[in-house]
Amino acid sequence: MDIQLSNICHSYGSVEVIKNISFNIESGKIVCIVGPSGCGKSTLLRFIGGLERPTSGEVLQLGAVPKDSLNPMTFVFQDFALLPWRTVGGNISLVLEDHGIRGAKANKIIDDVLSRTNLADFKNALPKQLSGGMKQRVAIARALAVNPAVMLLDEPLSALDSQTRELLIDDLVDLWSKKPFTAVYVTHNLEEAVRLGHSILVLSRRPGEIREVVTIDIPLKDRGYGNAELEKQRKYLWEIMRNEAKAADLELINV
Amino acid sequence: MSDKLNVERPEVVKYRGGGFAPKPHRWVGLAVFVVLILMVELGTQTGFISNLTLPKPSDVLITFSELYESGLLWQHLIPSLSRLVIGSIIGISLGVSVGIMIGLFSYVRAGLVPLVAALFPIPKIALLPLFVIWFGIDETSKYALIAFGTFTPTVVATYGAVDNVDRTLIRMGQSFGLSWFSIVRKIVFPGALAGILSGLRISIAIAIILLVAAEMLGAEYGIGAYILEAGSLYDLERLFVGVVILSVIGLLMSAFIGYFERKLLNWRV
Amino acid sequence: MTNLNRRKVLALIGGTAAASLLPMPAFSANRTIKVGALRFTSHAASFVAVEKLYFAEAGLNVELRFFQAATPMAVAIASGDIDYAITAISGGLISLADKGAIKVIGGGLSEEKGIEGQKILASNAAFEAGLTSPAALEGKTFGITTAGSSFHFMGSKISGQEKVSVKFKPLQKVGTIIGTLKSSQIDAWSIVPHIAKPLAAAGAAHIIGNVSDYLPDYQVTTVFTSAKIAAQEKGMTRDFLAGFSKGVDDYNAAMVDKTLGSEGIDAMVDIIHKYVYADRPLEKAAPSIINGSMRLNANAGINMKSITEQLDWFKSEGLVDKNITMDTLVDTSYVKTI
Repeated sequence: MDIQLSNICHSYGSVEVIKNISFNIESGKIVCIVGPSGCGKSTLLRFIGGLERPTSGEVLQLGAVPKDSLNPMTFVFQDFALLPWRTVGGNISLVLEDHGIRGAKANKIIDDVLSRTNLADFKNALPKQLSGGMKQRVAIARALAVNPAVMLLDEPLSALDSQTRELLIDDLVDLWSKKPFTAVYVTHNLEEAVRLGHSILVLSRRPGEIREVVTIDIPLKDRGYGNAELEKQRKYLWEIMRNEAKAADLELINV
Repeated sequence: MSDKLNVERPEVVKYRGGGFAPKPHRWVGLAVFVVLILMVELGTQTGFISNLTLPKPSDVLITFSELYESGLLWQHLIPSLSRLVIGSIIGISLGVSVGIMIGLFSYVRAGLVPLVAALFPIPKIALLPLFVIWFGIDETSKYALIAFGTFTPTVVATYGAVDNVDRTLIRMGQSFGLSWFSIVRKIVFPGALAGILSGLRISIAIAIILLVAAEMLGAEYGIGAYILEAGSLYDLERLFVGVVILSVIGLLMSAFIGYFERKLLNWRV
Repeated sequence: MTNLNRRKVLALIGGTAAASLLPMPAFSANRTIKVGALRFTSHAASFVAVEKLYFAEAGLNVELRFFQAATPMAVAIASGDIDYAITAISGGLISLADKGAIKVIGGGLSEEKGIEGQKILASNAAFEAGLTSPAALEGKTFGITTAGSSFHFMGSKISGQEKVSVKFKPLQKVGTIIGTLKSSQIDAWSIVPHIAKPLAAAGAAHIIGNVSDYLPDYQVTTVFTSAKIAAQEKGMTRDFLAGFSKGVDDYNAAMVDKTLGSEGIDAMVDIIHKYVYADRPLEKAAPSIINGSMRLNANAGINMKSITEQLDWFKSEGLVDKNITMDTLVDTSYVKTI
């Protein structure tokens, strides 16, 4: 299943935040969206996931939704959004219960996604016992449990320290390599974008428009830390973004 | 600064970070009680405190044991506790439901928040005669008074707690396609529980205050009736026995809620 | 603790003041005293004595302090906030006397055969169900303010003499009792005529008997003061009672014996209306004030037989300590005992 954005425009009152964005998200690929703060990249992600409605334009699903997908558009949030009163297993069970999946069937799925994210030993732990990186792995496991057609990741690593971030990038690459999934990955971190994106959508400052689409052909698992080609791409992205970021930084916040 | 010139021992940096961090000292509270009671006992024994001002704590204890031995303690305690429990359960369950509705629906909020704000400051005791006309002089009016008194603070605590539920958790629930009812039951309610429980502490204290008021009208037995009778007879020993019983009920209720908090909210950091 | 300090200080001041006044004659030389009262016609003697300057003639500058109920007034005497008060004998008053705080020093209002006194009321529903005389009170509910109040005493005595058992419902306030009686939540009550008669006239209740049939010569209210004043301020107390008694005489002459004709009644109603039913126009208040006329004890004389009967009842009900004697309760050195 592909996703097509067609002429998305959005404004809050008289403030235009997103302008004329059209783009295709191909099945089995990771699209990264980068841009200066306030460019509407997270808003765009919520349009794709159906949590918000654009002022004009539409998000289209092309092709049939895979039958085994419980929740085709599945989010992973920056602040993890785990229920603190449920255990790791309980948090994953939460998203299965409404689909009538309980008991042994649910346990099978939970055990599977926990082992895929290396969390098998923490099924009964409470979120307060986990580090930030572990929490985000639980959130990723929860997303995997509903077998999404498209994963929508909203700055998933921004709340983590840089070492943990490195580890989680590796985890994500690993997950994708074993079983490719479609994802839209919003970040302000260019390192993450070049490590994970098959294509990188650069947005301008507000109102957000597509400045450029950069595609990187290196397979994900070959994009190790310190890869020279990636470094070049990262610098290139930064050149595009620098002036936008500078100008965005000086704008008054009036949204 | 040169090391060679300064041969004496360098000064240690002064510590200035203490205080402002409460630590539990369980026995201090008990000691305050004991010291106060001993002071009153001493004062009344020596006559420094007149028998009009305060009763002797030892006499209060004797009066209590007489009450216990006569079997009247239970005759007073059981009706009071049942009024307290039934009235509070009605008021609190209605209050929690209305509070959640206010928290969830903007129309309900717009309609009921001003009403609750208008009802909250009404001294419920002033309405007691009216309650007697509406609900009769027997138990129903007493339940109604306590229910009404616990209802408004519970509503306010509950919708405040619902407002404070992390919105990203609700967004998360929506993003996973959870039904509205599931979101309320599995995310909103547990998320609001901490706030609701701390509101209950206030509601239950109000229920105990109102118990005495409820028993002003037509109650032969009950701790409140016992206190009022002692007051009108200026019988300080019995008055204090009643007051101490109410305090103990309050302490036990508070401990009960504390137990629930520890049990249900162990997920809190 | 502050209370205690204040009382000690007051006692000290009182002591020195008393000492400096000792050589002076009985006349109290314009001392200011505070007298507690309820806004009932039974307190008319104090109002008359203030208005006709009888207290002033006795050398006392009287400030009236108004209360809502009898027990707070007794407590105010004990705490020294007021000096003299007139109210019914209640369990609280006896307990305070037992603690050495207050003394009864004279009589106020009494029941008297032949003069309209307190009435026994039945609610409409109870009346229709057959409660047409106090003999039918068996199993009925009887309204009282609190346990140990005068209402409790009257109800207990009435039901005792009729050999029936009633259930007492404590309702704290007279207003609440009236409300519950009107709505038939309680079956019966006893109350002064100026409340009973309008209720019956308005069809809100039925009069089924007179309290005086059960308690002839019932000493309803008494004059009391703090034990300290009774013992140490004999001059001032006599002056107070003298002024008060003149008020009693005027009231009895005008309202009870009616020797002053209708003009006398009108003049008396004018005075009382300043304090009782002041929120109603005179025309409306006058019938209630006239209805409420009951004999006040001349010269504040006190009916010891009735007081003894009351004290015994409070003891037998376990409402007050069994060892309290009449001497603890009453100081008979001031007025004639009947």
